[in-house]
Amino acid sequence: MDPSEVEFIAEKEVVQIIPNFSLDKIYLIGGDLGPFNPGLPVSVPVWLALNLKQRQKCSIVPPEWMDIDKLEEMRELERKEDAFTPVPSPYYMELTKLLLNHSSDNIPKADEIRTLVKDIWDTRIAKLRLSADSFINQQEAHAKLDNLTLMEINTIRAFLLDSLNCMYKLRSNLQPGSTKGQFSDY
Amino acid sequence: MPCEKKPMRYGHSEGHTEVCFDESGKFIVTCGNDGDVRIWEGLDDDDPRFITVGEKAYSLSLRNGRLVTASSNNTVQLHTFPEGEPDGILTRFTTNATHVTFNSNGTRVAAGSSDFLVKVVQVGDSSDQRTFRGHEAPVLSVTFDPRDQLLASSSCDGSVVVWNIEEQNQVTRWNLLQKTNDVSNAKSLCRLAFQPHSGKLLAVPVEDKVHLYERDTWSHVTTLSDNLITQPVNVVSWSPCGKRLAAASVGGVIVIWDVSSKMCLERQKHEKGFTVCSVAWSPSGAELVYTDTEGCVGLLEGVCSLLSWQPSTVARDFDDLFDGDEDGQMDEGESPRRPQDDDDIITSTGRIKNRAAFLEDDNSLDTGSLKLGGEKFRDDDDDDGGSSIAPPPGPPVPLRPVYEGPMPTPPQRAFQPGSTPAHLTHRFMMWNSVGIVRGYNDEPENAIDVEFHDSAVHHGMHLSNALGHKMADISQEAVLLACPSTDELCSKLVCVHFSSWDTHKEWVVDLPRGEDARALCLGRSFVAVATSALLLRLFTIGGLQREVFSLSGNVVCVSAHGEQLCVVYHRGTGFDGDQALGVQLLSLSQKRRLILDQPLPLSPQSTLSWIGFTAEGTPCSVDSEGQVRPLLEDQGAQGQSRRHFNLISCLFCRCIPCKGSRFPPTLPRPAVAVLPFKMPLCQTSTEKGQMEEQFWRSVLLHNHFGFLSSNGYEIDEEAQSQSLKEQQELLMKMFALSCKLDREFRCVELAQMMTQNVVTLAIKYASRSGKMGLAQRLSEIALEKAQEEHQEEEEETTGRSEMSRYNSRQTEEVEEEDEEENEDREEETQPKKLDYLTVNVSPQVSSGGASPAQPRVTNILDNIPNRKSAPLTSSSIKTKKSPVLKPLAPKPKSKTQSTLLQMSSKTNTKRQESEERPEEPRTKEPNPNPAPPSPESTENRRPQTGFQLWLENHRKNILAESPNLDETDLIKDAMGRFRSLSAEERLSWTERAKGQSGDDPKKRKRPEEVEDKEGSKETNEETSAKKAKTVGVAEKLSAFAFN
Repeated sequence: MDPSEVEFIAEKEVVQIIPNFSLDKIYLIGGDLGPFNPGLPVSVPVWLALNLKQRQKCSIVPPEWMDIDKLEEMRELERKEDAFTPVPSPYYMELTKLLLNHSSDNIPKADEIRTLVKDIWDTRIAKLRLSADSFINQQEAHAKLDNLTLMEINTIRAFLLDSLNCMYKLRSNLQPGSTKGQFSDY
Repeated sequence: MPCEKKPMRYGHSEGHTEVCFDESGKFIVTCGNDGDVRIWEGLDDDDPRFITVGEKAYSLSLRNGRLVTASSNNTVQLHTFPEGEPDGILTRFTTNATHVTFNSNGTRVAAGSSDFLVKVVQVGDSSDQRTFRGHEAPVLSVTFDPRDQLLASSSCDGSVVVWNIEEQNQVTRWNLLQKTNDVSNAKSLCRLAFQPHSGKLLAVPVEDKVHLYERDTWSHVTTLSDNLITQPVNVVSWSPCGKRLAAASVGGVIVIWDVSSKMCLERQKHEKGFTVCSVAWSPSGAELVYTDTEGCVGLLEGVCSLLSWQPSTVARDFDDLFDGDEDGQMDEGESPRRPQDDDDIITSTGRIKNRAAFLEDDNSLDTGSLKLGGEKFRDDDDDDGGSSIAPPPGPPVPLRPVYEGPMPTPPQRAFQPGSTPAHLTHRFMMWNSVGIVRGYNDEPENAIDVEFHDSAVHHGMHLSNALGHKMADISQEAVLLACPSTDELCSKLVCVHFSSWDTHKEWVVDLPRGEDARALCLGRSFVAVATSALLLRLFTIGGLQREVFSLSGNVVCVSAHGEQLCVVYHRGTGFDGDQALGVQLLSLSQKRRLILDQPLPLSPQSTLSWIGFTAEGTPCSVDSEGQVRPLLEDQGAQGQSRRHFNLISCLFCRCIPCKGSRFPPTLPRPAVAVLPFKMPLCQTSTEKGQMEEQFWRSVLLHNHFGFLSSNGYEIDEEAQSQSLKEQQELLMKMFALSCKLDREFRCVELAQMMTQNVVTLAIKYASRSGKMGLAQRLSEIALEKAQEEHQEEEEETTGRSEMSRYNSRQTEEVEEEDEEENEDREEETQPKKLDYLTVNVSPQVSSGGASPAQPRVTNILDNIPNRKSAPLTSSSIKTKKSPVLKPLAPKPKSKTQSTLLQMSSKTNTKRQESEERPEEPRTKEPNPNPAPPSPESTENRRPQTGFQLWLENHRKNILAESPNLDETDLIKDAMGRFRSLSAEERLSWTERAKGQSGDDPKKRKRPEEVEDKEGSKETNEETSAKKAKTVGVAEKLSAFAFN
């Protein structure tokens, strides 16, 4: 799965926008949107929000979790906990990227938010790597990881699967017992 | 004569030190961080005696040959003086005491400690302790009143409290200081002091000033300050004579004032600038000894040799220290500044500004009496004109009787609804449904930004605000600005009429001199400005002057929507925090018309914070408690409490939530939130309460439709019918609920509120749930309603037929007769039906003895859905497409009753038809019939008539195939067959049925009915029943009923 595909999926998430035009309800396969009243917040999918934003037809209300204090708290929690902590949105990374890239003028302290989310992401990815490492080291058959987002899974999927495959091949050719030494520095 | 500053000398190790004189003035006694109390015979004493009191000594006090110290072992100890023998432990705290002090005659010791307590202990009897609780942080300092009645203490929680020693209660409390959590963190030690001898004044160091509070009234009399003191004042100390006050600051500055003249007599600076933490006057008042936090002791000699002192000499003597000019300036400049300070303090101490007038009175009274006292405390120019009304010498009696009744509330200032206060540099001048006007009042630039929610209206504007506009409004057509008058310029009104098609978009109007714009608003093609001259001036949007009319009180705000104008003004004086506001609602279409003039309801002790119109056009007010109230002719108080929301823009309950503060900041731009609107009914947690709330809310919102349509506004008919439908649905739900709870009386009450065709549904529901008594009562109501509506309709028809009236009066009379006849017949048939209902039960009970009424009812329940389900589902699909309710709703509605009647009478006929059938079906048959009417009365009939038409045509076939079927089975069977027809066929039947009923229902029905010997009577009712089809309410309800 391509990251862009994950991003595409994330564009289905709903955000609030404040339109500066008025339009009746629009009826789409995915559901009805609107009505759009100028100055009144309305919930729309991200793709539409970004499209409208690019045409300067709306301003985007940042999601509730996109707030310095909340993110800082999350980051601390994420650093403190060994396991993955629940994230505010299953597409937090994608949404942050999309919204900040396209409408940083509507989001207060955009740079700080970007840094914070990146911090959280890094922490989580580090954890993920660590757990993958121990998973392989201990040659476990299965592992359970909670609270992972699609994007995170996606980043490690290709690599993990390939390397497991590879190792399986190697291992099946090797005598049992010698494997450990071989991969300890993996 | 200048004082002489002796060189400082080392006394203790560094840390907090304290100093005092013994009563003879012979010894200087100090204590410090090394835990020693040193007794110096003058500052030159190189070998002071010392008493070790603990590891550290925090505070000491000396009186009557006893020395009391607060030491680090959490005790307050006594020692004899000057021998230094331990004399026992006076009291203990849970942590160290921070300050101890003797009272004037040395009989009591007060100690404040870090455990938030203040204790007063009898010196001779340490069991006599009084504890004063109330501080919420470590106590900084304590001081006794020389009269031994009061005790003052200051604490790290920022409070200064005066206690009554005997009663152990708080006399007064100020929050003056900065809050800290510990003495070590406190900026100032805040050593308070009562004026010696009289105790008239309490000196409190507050920041870099010293406040003087007057005993008993505890009003803030004056403030002493000095330019040299830039850091917080640590310590104050009165001279033994009580006329001078010495203050020492954290910055090491020691200043002595003459309190009566507020002249600064002495300014000294610590030679190294260390923090002075203690000062003490010698008993003669000629010397001042001080210690600093580095453990050094210093002495000022010859302070204010009383007689020869002249302020000018001091000023001259300190020419090297200060600029002469500045000094003079300061002395002169002080007096005008004072009153201002006083005001600030009054507000900061939490007194309501609006009581200032009364405070002033108090002040003047008291300063008057103060002057009379033997104290000779002279209070000069600085007391708000208090001296001017100083009474002649005499006993200090109050000049006027003190008024103790309800206090008048200061009237609320005029404001623009949807704006933030004018004193903010960045503020919203207006935020409404059209756009936002923001004002920036930065130093370099004074500008106004206009932004439209809908960019299609106009692009944003940036206007420079050279005139200093304070008020603004924005509409689809224009932006209106107004500035208050200044000395040179009169109040101006500027209108940027951007929707104008000519090139001159802007017009300016000067208000007459002395008249200020107080509130303004823009309506559809008019501008309204309320001025300080109690006038409301109207202009056209293009700048023509229209009517001017007087308001009956000072305006609070104005608001407009379309052609409606809402003015809120002061009707009179409110008392005890309440405002007395009135509201006028005007219609300005062609000529001005007063719609409403009434008092404006507000929550107790609140002010109006917003007034405006909902998107539907209902005028609404919001008070500072967050209550939203629609203003309608017949509405009481409604609304819902919403704290911490600033209703900036309200179309309907769209507000800007403010985090923590009362007003939203301009940046980042606050987001609008849509809040749910709730009514403050009781018990909204219960299902009943919720439904009641929903119902009344709907009624409330709906009510304005009537008003609007009567004013000729376009109204959203769909929305109107929707809300009607919703109301009836809710009523029905409530009905069902109370039915379930066996609250029959309540059911009847509910039925009174229902429309007539819903009552029929209710009857059905009641009979289904076995409440025959209730059903009977309901049908009486239904009858009443039918008559009422019938009469209404009659009036309507007569009104409408004015044209035809002149044709011939006779015909009309005939018509009317006809209608009366109809009515009569209805009245006849109605009881018949009632009989029916009762008959339904009674024969069963009598004949089928064993089976009570209940199973029969369930039988009905079983039957109805079977019969109904198919047409209903198809109809429910139809309903979505069903056109908007025709505005002539009342007329068809009134006929629904007759539908029911017709149905019941048809049952009669059917029964007659099936006369030959056995008894059993006869009793059964009528039961389904009360059920169909109301669903059928509406659209449901259409598809059904398709089926019916089919049935008519095929009845014989079916009967031929299976002759043994009774009526219900026949219909069931027919239904099955009908369903098995192809869609097109069914459609064509429906079409035909529609065509028939649409063209002329009589065509189809009449033969049938004529057959039934009911004749024209029926057809009349039949046609009226057809009209009832248009009623949309019942269809929804029936959907509910059969769910």
